[in-house]
Amino acid sequence: MKTLVALSLLCCSMRLPAQPSGMVRIPGGVFTPFLQTGARPSKITVADFYLDKHAVTNAEFLQFVRANPSWKRSCVTRIFADSNYLQHWAGDLDIGDPRAANSPVTNISWFAADAYCRWKGNRLPTMTEWEYAAGAAPVHYKGRANTRHDLSRLILEWYDHPAPSILPPVMSTYRNSFGLYDMHGLVWEWVEDFNSILPANGGPGPFVCGAGSIGTANKEDYAAYMRFALRQSLRAEYTVRTLGFRCARDIAPRDIVKK
Amino acid sequence: MRQLLSLLFLAIAFVGGSCRRQASVATPSCCAKPPRSSAFSVPAPLTPDASIYQLPGVWLDQHNHSVSLNTLKGKVQVVAMIFTHCGYACPRLVQEMKDIEDSLSASQRAGVGYVLVSFDTRRDDPARLQQYAEEQRLDGHWVLLHGNAEEVRQLSMLLNVSYQPAADGNFNHSNAVVILDRQGTPRQTLEGLSSNAALAIRTIGRLETQ
Repeated sequence: MKTLVALSLLCCSMRLPAQPSGMVRIPGGVFTPFLQTGARPSKITVADFYLDKHAVTNAEFLQFVRANPSWKRSCVTRIFADSNYLQHWAGDLDIGDPRAANSPVTNISWFAADAYCRWKGNRLPTMTEWEYAAGAAPVHYKGRANTRHDLSRLILEWYDHPAPSILPPVMSTYRNSFGLYDMHGLVWEWVEDFNSILPANGGPGPFVCGAGSIGTANKEDYAAYMRFALRQSLRAEYTVRTLGFRCARDIAPRDIVKK
Repeated sequence: MRQLLSLLFLAIAFVGGSCRRQASVATPSCCAKPPRSSAFSVPAPLTPDASIYQLPGVWLDQHNHSVSLNTLKGKVQVVAMIFTHCGYACPRLVQEMKDIEDSLSASQRAGVGYVLVSFDTRRDDPARLQQYAEEQRLDGHWVLLHGNAEEVRQLSMLLNVSYQPAADGNFNHSNAVVILDRQGTPRQTLEGLSSNAALAIRTIGRLETQ
């Protein structure tokens, strides 16, 4: 009997697709992007994907740097990370304050975040995926049922407070209805195509200005303005003390051109 | 009023349109680009190790040969990111690059290369790039590159080119011609679609002697 149970367990576990550890399967759906560019439909369909339950921590990033010495603070190439890269660490392979081990890693460039995710066999989420996943309402934030309205308030409260010198640990703010932690309220996060924001006039320049709100889905979503303005201001080698990341993965293997 | 507005939009689409299918919004005055400085200089690279040839990865050129970016080293390179199905902006970028090539003196020409990198990893395979090179009458100084989506995104980061796939398979993108020195460091970016060939030629003249 025992063997039978074990056997049936084995066959079931073989048939089930492996859920990547630390990731949550985000069910796809229809999403209204905040930025309405005219070239994209006003609603887009997002396919199912996996997303890290929480942002990548200092301890996790340290493993990556150990395995990839070219990403050490003293080795990194300047075009891939500016001079503030990992500046809050005590050394190349030393996080410093042990309380920071479980805090989200910040002061990392887009290139570093991208390299980490690839090292894990993952990728950065697209802006659409991230926004879709982050738009879910909190679950029992402040001990009660929540709505999207509570989410806006949560974000604005976060914006109100300066970041502490040691960031709080991951999974310390709130969980959303997808089962993701801290999509807002802890750090900003890199996305794969952060540089895809095109100003309405097709040239360089800020999109947030007097008449800029013409192109947005919700003119009162101040928090989203802040997020998109930050992305617009970034370059891939920049590092910011309050900017971290998490990784995503396709459900089906991605159509990667092999040569 | 509404008709007037849509007429205005149409007019903008006609005059100022790029590869986009529709013009999105009129340019508010506060978004207007500052006038381009006419003073000429080639700013020194910010860091000594700023060559984009440090980007790893293998690309395919229009002859279906595998190349790394490092093979572009040694010449001044004039680079743009485009896609071959692009109807309006990309042909203008290519034309600007051809104007640059045509304006160089015979002695300068051997030291300058031209690189087109496609956003369209799906449709712009080496064969399509070869066809495009023939249509555009691009000579042996031109390299057209096909990469995978990750490589293209990484390169766009280093060249500071923004792009976004559109629902119809085309791409919205910023327009830039980037001049790299012989080590592969971006030294000047010509932004927008107004011709800057004269400026580019002066830059190339200086970089060829460095």
